[in-house]
Amino acid sequence: MSDVRQQGIEIVPQACERPPSTPEPVVGAPAVVVARDLTRRYGTGDAAVDALGGVSIDLARGRFTAIMGPSGSGKSTLMHVLAGLDNPTSGAVWIDGVEITALKERQLTQLRRDKVGFIFQTFNLLPMLTAKENLVLPLTIAGTKLDEAWLATLVDAVALGDRLGHRPSELSGGQQQRVAIARALVSRPVVIFADEPTGNLDSKTGDEVLGLLRRSAGEFGQTIVMVTHDARAATVADRIVFLQDGRIELDCGRMSRDEIYDTIKSLEATSERGDGGPAR
Amino acid sequence: MIRLSLRDLWGRKLRTALTMLAIVLGVAMIAGTYVITDQIDNGFHNIFEKAAVGTDVNITRKAAFSGSDVFSSGGALPVALLDQVRAVKGVADAAGTVEASGAVVVNGKSVSTGGAPTLVFSTAPPRFSQSKYIAGAAPARDGTVAINAKLATDKHLQVGDTIGLGTEQGQQQVVISGIFDFGNSTSIGGATLVATTVADAQRWYNQEGQYSAISVAAEPGVTPDTLAARLKTALPAYAEVKTSAQSVADNTKAVSDAIGNVLRTILLAFGGVAVIVGAFIIFNAFSITVAQRIREFAMLRSLGATRRQVLASVIGEAGALGLIASLLGIAAGIGIAKGINALFHAVGADIPTSGIALAPRTIVVSLVVGIGVALLAALAPALRATRVPPVAALHEGATLPPSVVSRYSPIIAAVAAVVGGVSLAAGMFVHGTTASRLFEMGLGAVLIFVAVAMVAKHVVRPLASVIGWPAARFAGSSGRLARENATRNPARTAATAAALMIGLAVVVFVAVFAQGFKTSFVSAVDRSVNAAIVVSGQSGGTIPDAALATVRAVPGVDQAAGVYSATTQINDGSTASMTGVDPVTFGPMWRFHWLKGGSDALLGKLTGGAALVEEQFAAKYNLSKGKSFVALGQTGTKQRFTVIGEFRDPTLLTGFTVSQNAFDRLVPSNQRDPFYIIASSSADPAQTEAAVATALKAFPTAKVQTKADYTASLKKQVDQLLTLIYALLAVSVIISVFGIVNTLVLSVYERTREIGMLRAIGTTRRQMRRIVRYESVITSIIGGILGTVLGVLFAYVVSTRLASQGITFSVPWGQLVVFLIVAGFVGVIAAVLPARRAARVNILDAIHYE
Ligand SMILES: Nc1ncnc2c1ncn2[C@@H]1O[C@H](COP(=O)(O)OP(=O)(O)OP(=O)(O)O)[C@@H](O)[C@H]1O
Ligand SMILES: [Mg+2]
Repeated sequence: MSDVRQQGIEIVPQACERPPSTPEPVVGAPAVVVARDLTRRYGTGDAAVDALGGVSIDLARGRFTAIMGPSGSGKSTLMHVLAGLDNPTSGAVWIDGVEITALKERQLTQLRRDKVGFIFQTFNLLPMLTAKENLVLPLTIAGTKLDEAWLATLVDAVALGDRLGHRPSELSGGQQQRVAIARALVSRPVVIFADEPTGNLDSKTGDEVLGLLRRSAGEFGQTIVMVTHDARAATVADRIVFLQDGRIELDCGRMSRDEIYDTIKSLEATSERGDGGPAR
Repeated sequence: MIRLSLRDLWGRKLRTALTMLAIVLGVAMIAGTYVITDQIDNGFHNIFEKAAVGTDVNITRKAAFSGSDVFSSGGALPVALLDQVRAVKGVADAAGTVEASGAVVVNGKSVSTGGAPTLVFSTAPPRFSQSKYIAGAAPARDGTVAINAKLATDKHLQVGDTIGLGTEQGQQQVVISGIFDFGNSTSIGGATLVATTVADAQRWYNQEGQYSAISVAAEPGVTPDTLAARLKTALPAYAEVKTSAQSVADNTKAVSDAIGNVLRTILLAFGGVAVIVGAFIIFNAFSITVAQRIREFAMLRSLGATRRQVLASVIGEAGALGLIASLLGIAAGIGIAKGINALFHAVGADIPTSGIALAPRTIVVSLVVGIGVALLAALAPALRATRVPPVAALHEGATLPPSVVSRYSPIIAAVAAVVGGVSLAAGMFVHGTTASRLFEMGLGAVLIFVAVAMVAKHVVRPLASVIGWPAARFAGSSGRLARENATRNPARTAATAAALMIGLAVVVFVAVFAQGFKTSFVSAVDRSVNAAIVVSGQSGGTIPDAALATVRAVPGVDQAAGVYSATTQINDGSTASMTGVDPVTFGPMWRFHWLKGGSDALLGKLTGGAALVEEQFAAKYNLSKGKSFVALGQTGTKQRFTVIGEFRDPTLLTGFTVSQNAFDRLVPSNQRDPFYIIASSSADPAQTEAAVATALKAFPTAKVQTKADYTASLKKQVDQLLTLIYALLAVSVIISVFGIVNTLVLSVYERTREIGMLRAIGTTRRQMRRIVRYESVITSIIGGILGTVLGVLFAYVVSTRLASQGITFSVPWGQLVVFLIVAGFVGVIAAVLPARRAARVNILDAIHYE
């Protein structure tokens, strides 16, 4: 392992640093999501796969973080564990100071309602509801009152104009995804998790979606965690975390597309050289 | 390909089980019906056969015409005929017997038989008798009787005990001389058997100098056929001579026509409803799974499977399902039959049975119905599957191409509605045999159901928005989402609701119709009877004529009159009911609804050949005042009657009414008993009732009631029948519950990702369950509303058609509301399992892309 790290040193870009084995506790607590020593093991015995091999990470409020890494590196698993959709085998996660890994199903649902927003790759919207209805769905489900001003801001942000009364089937993939973003924003969650939000979109519509995500972080101060394969997508993030074999390999600031490509390449090289990722 | 579909069947066990249940229950009802009715038929056949042992030829009096009675008989034979019989060459022995129905009284209390008859018969010489004495002996002296073993055991009776026997001459105190088994059984299908001497039977049952039948034994070497032929030539024409084999067959057929066939037709109708409900469920299940398997079909097609292969795979699946379900249904049917036997046994009314009778016909019909329905219902979905283009394999959310059927569905629905309407109308208005008319009406109703089910998808949206309104309003997002879910695939919701609709439509039809019947029949009694007391017979039977004089003699009774009724043949054609009354006593106690200027004064002229005709009878035979018709009675006498007046009474005094004298001429003496005795009293009705009841203790079959109690008991009888019908219809409703469960389970499966997403954005499990539950309730109430509307409509049409028979149309609103609530409840129950599944959806699994 140390061998690999040494080799990697030359190619660590400016903006990056190797993660400390245990991050310092964040003083003044601007971090809204805190994870410590997360491991996630699938299966048992010989067939066991360690999707996460000890991940610790702090996500600061208002920051847009991209999680990247080769296929099977544990991106989705990490996101699921951070969002409370999955339980880590060991380790703990705090969201807004609450240890979610200790919560019961009912409390988790409440957490998802109040503090977490989701954006998925597909199947984001209910087909029988209009765009507007989909947008406010979390509030409807929670039975919370709607903040008209906030709604107006969001409606403005998704830039759908008169198409808000249409059903998802009448909207393009990009438009649907924008509605999904607005929906994630509508309850003003502490953090939004997005898994490959542009995975199903062409580059132009993908850009629209990324633009909206970027604005959400910038203008509305929304904390966002986005899992992506796509270097273009990662360019909008304030921070890019590279996973490899279930560990954080690099933790970087803003990067250009080329820098991201180079980083990915160098990581692949490391991976090829040694202990390849768990089989998919 | 077939293997593939069988694997698919196995792979989706829950769906398969639910779909199969839809067929299993319907087939079980059909198979069970056949098993039970075959059993009854065989049971009676065995009894008749047993009773005929030792008898080669049987002689009765020929019926003047075959009427609507079970055993139409022309009355009794003169005793002198016995000597004539004995004189015929080849007769080894002959004996006359007298048969009647009576009642047994033990310790002053009439023995309740649970509806089974108490048969009284005179003893015959041992060679003709199947009574095996287990104690004492056959009655040798007048005033002694033998009873069957079951009665003796039930009532702890022994030889030497005294019991009361209800007869035409009032109650007789008789001493038990013996206790016997009939053949090897202690009873005949729960009936009570009493053997008397010939002389007693003749005296007590108005058959002095007469026999009911003569049993003949042939000399060795003489075949029954030869002997019967000889007897036919030797005896007068009124004697009906039959070999005992023939009479066993005829009697079996008569019982079968009266009980087995009627019961069979009725039960099969309920089974049919269940099967049709099942068909909708299968159709729906296959429609949904074909839609869900679209990419699988596309993939197969792209791998080179032909359309025919795709069709065969779906149809093969349906056939296999139908086969397994039918076999299970047959097994369940046998189980049902066994259960019912046990039930009858438990209440002491052993229906004569001969073990489980699984006729080949039962198996064939069950298989044909079960498999046929499955194939037919799966045909349209299967055809749709063949239209899946191979490229659909590449699309993420490919949808089924619209079926060939759907393009023409408005036309098909319209045609079905029109043909159904015509068939229904033909069944109701065109004359034909009852069976063919019932068939036409049934077919019409089914076609209308299909038509409504096809167009129902257009009303799903508006109905759901109305029904779902309270849910959306008060249950927030769950209600809203449920409503949206219910309307997102209106065709599916409509088909699911249609299954419930059918069951409920029949329930509502029965309820409304019964209400009308109750209202009209009971109000007719209320309106027409102007008397304080009504005496009626046991289970619709007659009362001994002698009871009338007894009632008249009771202090407090002002007047009493009997209402006598018999079947006659009119103008050598069809039969009609003839009522005989004594105009003087009956007139003041009956409020006639006179037509065409008639009045009570006409009763004064009701003598000899005069007849008062009921409106319908008049219309049927084109009669009016002054015209005449010929009536033939079972005595063989023909009488010409002249119409002196017309009245309306479609429920009680149907046919025509004549004077007592004229009636007696046409009706054999042993059938001249009143069905009712009505008595007026100026005293307190309750006191008079008590006095009459005391006086009629001598006639244990007579039931004394005040008019109010009598109408109440009529209502109760209708209600009891209704309960039974509802129980039978409940099966259809249960099947539709499975249908809703099935649809919901499939929908939940289909929406797994959606559910995962909903859960991810904060929907609680409870909310998830609620969404499914509300959707279920909305669907079932749509079915309930459609069913109620259809049922009321059918009832309206049929009641209007029967208006001339006194059936009024009256809607039991309270009950309809109850039915709708039940429908909603059905939805709640159906949702339990699917809702649990929805709530259990694992968010991670759900959002994991395929
Ligand atoms: N349910 C599961 N059961 C067993 N192994 C799993 C399961 N889910 C994920 N894995 C394994 O865990 C590892 C990490 O998977 P994960 O889905 O997190 O990767 P990923 O980085 O999101 O990959 P991709 O970019 O392909 O989506 C992989 O090796 C995968 O095979
Ligand atoms: Mg992934």
